[in-house]
Amino acid sequence: MADRAEFLASIRHRTRTGKYKPTHAPDVAWTPKESPPETRLIEDPSARFIEKLEALKGHGFRAESGDEAREYVVSLARSRGAKLLVRWDDEELAGFDAPLADAGVEVAVPRDPEGLREVAGRADVGLSTASWAIAETGSLVLESGQGRGRSVTLLPPTYVAVLRADRILGTVPEAISKYAGGKVPANVCFHTGPSRSGDIEMSLVVGMHGPGDVHVVVVG
Amino acid sequence: METKKPPRQRDTRDRREEGIVSPVEGFNERGRKAAGDKALHDAIQLFTHKSVAGRNAVLNALPEAPELRERAYGIKQRTMANLDRYLEQMADAVEDRGGNVFFADDGEDVVRYIGELARRRGAKVITKSKSMATEEIELNHRLEEDYADLDLEIVETDLGEWIAQLAGDTPSHIVGPILHMNLERVTKILSGAAGENLPPNVQALAAFARKRLRQKFLTADVGITGANFGVAETGTIVTVTNEGNGRLVTSVPPVHVVVMGIEKLIPRFEDLSVFTRLLARSGTGQELTVYTNFVTGPRAEGELDGAEEFHLILMDNGRSKLLGTPFEEALYCIRCGACLNVCPVYRQTGGHAYGSTYSGPIGAVITPLLKGTDEAKDLPHASSLCGACWEACPVGIPLHDLLLKLRNHQVEEGLAGKGQKAAFKVFENTMKSPALYNISRKAGRLAQKPLLKDGSVKPVPGPTSGWTGSRDLPPLAKKSFRELWKEGI
Repeated sequence: MADRAEFLASIRHRTRTGKYKPTHAPDVAWTPKESPPETRLIEDPSARFIEKLEALKGHGFRAESGDEAREYVVSLARSRGAKLLVRWDDEELAGFDAPLADAGVEVAVPRDPEGLREVAGRADVGLSTASWAIAETGSLVLESGQGRGRSVTLLPPTYVAVLRADRILGTVPEAISKYAGGKVPANVCFHTGPSRSGDIEMSLVVGMHGPGDVHVVVVG
Repeated sequence: METKKPPRQRDTRDRREEGIVSPVEGFNERGRKAAGDKALHDAIQLFTHKSVAGRNAVLNALPEAPELRERAYGIKQRTMANLDRYLEQMADAVEDRGGNVFFADDGEDVVRYIGELARRRGAKVITKSKSMATEEIELNHRLEEDYADLDLEIVETDLGEWIAQLAGDTPSHIVGPILHMNLERVTKILSGAAGENLPPNVQALAAFARKRLRQKFLTADVGITGANFGVAETGTIVTVTNEGNGRLVTSVPPVHVVVMGIEKLIPRFEDLSVFTRLLARSGTGQELTVYTNFVTGPRAEGELDGAEEFHLILMDNGRSKLLGTPFEEALYCIRCGACLNVCPVYRQTGGHAYGSTYSGPIGAVITPLLKGTDEAKDLPHASSLCGACWEACPVGIPLHDLLLKLRNHQVEEGLAGKGQKAAFKVFENTMKSPALYNISRKAGRLAQKPLLKDGSVKPVPGPTSGWTGSRDLPPLAKKSFRELWKEGI
């Protein structure tokens, strides 16, 4: 078994005594473009986000109000014939329980690990918020935390996230800079469209291990 | 239903010590065979063409790509120059967050650590997300053999890797592990696992795999992943997957073990904005993969899932030997697979011909370096030195330069064939003497006569067959430039 101090000392020795210093700057094979193509400019982040998400076979919906967002989620659950929905324990989602119950959908809000384990695997729909979204890639930025189980966004075949339009950032570097130099949550996930695989003859399979039916409701 | 243990049809474990020839030798023969396999050829063409087209399209739409490439190279250069310091920072950061850190010199260390961990946890089922580092040390076989008493069920969960595991096969591409298998073969393998005939339909086969692997995700005691990046500043491990298996393996089981090569380190979280924008674009032609997952230590207090126990294994396994040497840049690789897709040799032979975990140009470079140059002496020659790999590399590794350096190294170490050495000695003496040079010109024209056929020099048996067997050489001109010059052109 390797000892930490010895391991590091041996690496230090090699980096300090090694004679070779790589000096090759990468060549000019990747010629810089003179001006950014038009598609790079993001005027309306919500519109761009939805456009990118749909291109990845996800579904985006712009809701004017919280009521409209709730209607969307209820009709989605209905159309999927959902019996059980599991959601994050998040204030913003509390208002979804009553209309879902009215539509005959049981809502589970796990508050302990055993509860989550029991329910997430058999729920038909998972519902969460998102900390941020990224317009240029159609990604959700999901943070783990109290009451925000990772499995809620992973195990049910249908997954829907609800977030406010002002949480949509432009680019990946903007999203990364939210965590740079600070404390990173135990888990952050850039979740970009439905789960997919192309491993068999490069044929697209949607919904490989994670949800294949992904919806994002942008409010406002 | 239980997944059957994978049949060991092909034992890929390195058994050099037992006197069996290393599988890494013999590229030429395997390559020739592979190049003649029409189905394999078509499969490789499909994969590499699609991948290259996708990569070109997304990188061309990213105006800052050239700048990112330079920054990526610079970051890796800085990381390697101070690797000890960043490793220490990484270890401290992980421990601060309640994780465990283990430094492993080699594969044996990794196997022992995970084996003992599994024993302590009473683990039965281990789920794995695709990881080249664990392929490199053949973790699955070794755990099953060395810890046979634990009766572990180790399950690969990436669709392609699982199919390869069921077939007792190894991945033939960093990104597309079973690109060498056609639908018929996959149907057969999965039907075997199902115990019934499945239809030869990709959606149906994937649905079966989803269902079967879902049980494994939910019952696993330990999850093992590799790392695409490790961030020293925060202790964060980044994995990218499309299927979601990486996120499942790190979210559901109570224990998460990361096996990370020490070269996967990057200093700051912010550096990810360089690398995440290059990796998926270069590998699969996506802007981001579906799941770019950042794990920092075990689950925090009050969280409902994520591992309770987090272990980071920092594995050397020959990497540190390259620090401060002319081969250091080989450690900058982010395993995107772009160099494989553009390589004219890989595109003819596929990955298995290389006989090693890593194939293509990067495999031809690092296999001899990690395994020892005499063990993989064919591989530095599995290249036309055209430089397409260098051009495609998102980190700017001069792969063709490294291959050339490896060849030089072989000559210096006396590993080159005797014929090659003798031929170059004769060449050197001839070029030194004008008289000998004159004779050689005329002799050459005479000597080629019996070999000329349809206007070109045909294969010659004997010591030069390595050269002439795969090349049609143009005949020498009737009169040399020197003679024409004398006559007055």
